[in-house]
Amino acid sequence: MGMHARRRTFRVLMLAALTAIALVYIYPVFLMFMNSFKPFGEIVSDPIALPRLPTWENYRYVIKKIRYGSLFLNNLMITAVGLAGIVVFSSLAAYILDRRQNRYTGLIYTLIITPMLIPFQTIMITLLKAMSVIRLSGSRIGLGIQYWGFGIPMATFIFYNFMKTIPKELDESAHIDGASTIRTYISVIFPLLKSVSVTVIVLDTMWIWNDFLLPLLMVNSSNQTRTLVLAAYTFVGQMNTKWQYAMTAMVLTVLPAIIVFVFLQKYIVEGVVAGAVKG
Amino acid sequence: MTRRKRKEYLENVLYTLPAVVLVVMMMYVPFIMSGYYSLTEWNGISKEPRFLGFANFISLFSGDRAYMGAVTFTLKYTLFFVLLSNVLALALAVMLTKKFRFVNVFRGLFFIPYIMSMTIVGFIWKFIFTQGFAKLTELTGWGFLDWSWLGEPRLAFWAVAFVGVWQSLGFYIVLYIAGLQAVPEDVLEAAVVDGCSGRQKFFRVTLPLLGPSFTTCIFMSLTNGLKVFDIILALTKGGPGGSTYSATLQIYKVAFTDNHYGLGSAEAIVYFLVVLVITQLVLRLMNRKEVAL
Repeated sequence: MGMHARRRTFRVLMLAALTAIALVYIYPVFLMFMNSFKPFGEIVSDPIALPRLPTWENYRYVIKKIRYGSLFLNNLMITAVGLAGIVVFSSLAAYILDRRQNRYTGLIYTLIITPMLIPFQTIMITLLKAMSVIRLSGSRIGLGIQYWGFGIPMATFIFYNFMKTIPKELDESAHIDGASTIRTYISVIFPLLKSVSVTVIVLDTMWIWNDFLLPLLMVNSSNQTRTLVLAAYTFVGQMNTKWQYAMTAMVLTVLPAIIVFVFLQKYIVEGVVAGAVKG
Repeated sequence: MTRRKRKEYLENVLYTLPAVVLVVMMMYVPFIMSGYYSLTEWNGISKEPRFLGFANFISLFSGDRAYMGAVTFTLKYTLFFVLLSNVLALALAVMLTKKFRFVNVFRGLFFIPYIMSMTIVGFIWKFIFTQGFAKLTELTGWGFLDWSWLGEPRLAFWAVAFVGVWQSLGFYIVLYIAGLQAVPEDVLEAAVVDGCSGRQKFFRVTLPLLGPSFTTCIFMSLTNGLKVFDIILALTKGGPGGSTYSATLQIYKVAFTDNHYGLGSAEAIVYFLVVLVITQLVLRLMNRKEVAL
């Protein structure tokens, strides 16, 4: 009985400690939300308390100033284009590379996945020049297409490892029934890749939506490729003291991600874990 | 070659062609161009870069203190980032695998900073360090909060490391949770039957079985630490006095602020090799360890 009680006390203490840690941990995010509802004077005089009289004024100003609607659309387009190409081209390549094992495909596989070892920052200097030569630097679609090249190595690797778990008999029997290679891919293989596609989509959505450096490098070429993170960045850079607007721009950038996360927590966490373990 | 064979060969090429072309265009071509520009002096504007040979590389290793300083900073940052992330994430993961109400809410809370852009995380903390802490000191009387966290080189290092860990801790927590949940229940029960205490059970049974999780988490935190960029740009811009330049931020500055594209390319190539050697070494080392368990 004594040991039982002691274990109970320990459990209560641990839960109390965990609650305290979690609250302190998440407080900075909460603080960003709170301050976006305060006028400037109040942010400076009382940066950590709840707003006395919450106001939407900052939102009205920032939404108009950064043209939130069009930036949101930019983000959405760039992410969607990026995802579509990465998923289609990587799974297509992984399908053939796994099913036709020979010297040629082995070489191609190495060629595709080796760039996982190249940190983005080591190629960023010449990237802008290369991309403007092939005219991918000035548009949303162009920026989305650039993400194909950066995302395909990792995605092909993940798809390839998953392909091994799909029995060969499935495509062989489709083949005997007269299905062509592409038909087999579309109606037999791709539907079976659903769970691993979710993994790739989760990882790459988080990456592209939040990416900062690539849009920053391309920013001078066009207004089309301005993204939400970039807008938040220039807000802090230009008007260092106007924290009320900066906080609001930051909230407007992260809020879509947080909302999606709240609804899809299970899938997102599973996707991230699967991606890390397989990648 | 039979017709079928020829068709198969054509398909092999066709299906992999988009992936190959894209990767070559976005990764290989810029990489090779960097190799070429690293041998030149080029300000990005003039038409023709001037060929220099290995002069850029020589100056990196002899004259350029800033680059070596940035590489040293990055290695030190990575060391503490790997250590802190893994220790704290494992401790929290152990608590978060206990059964209690709202456990998923708690797990979600720790994950939220990870889904936020690192630039924004940097700004939130810049605000807290510069505005929030002053007020908090007033309220609590804790003097250490009022130190100049972003204004003094030694403190700025810890501020940057702390924010880096805060942002990505949730990621390592979910990886360790997955690992802890994969430890078979019957092995743990057997340990209890054999008279293991709670602590023994954890250190002698659970930890060794977490081998693969350690490998994944240490490797991921290592590569992420070596690439640190956005957080520092938002938080300190490399300051105070250039003390928090990471290697990647240094490359960015030399190329895009100072307009030394050739020197920047040389720094990029050298850093690529540094990252390659370190990650391969650590991977080898860990694979050997994991088998030994």
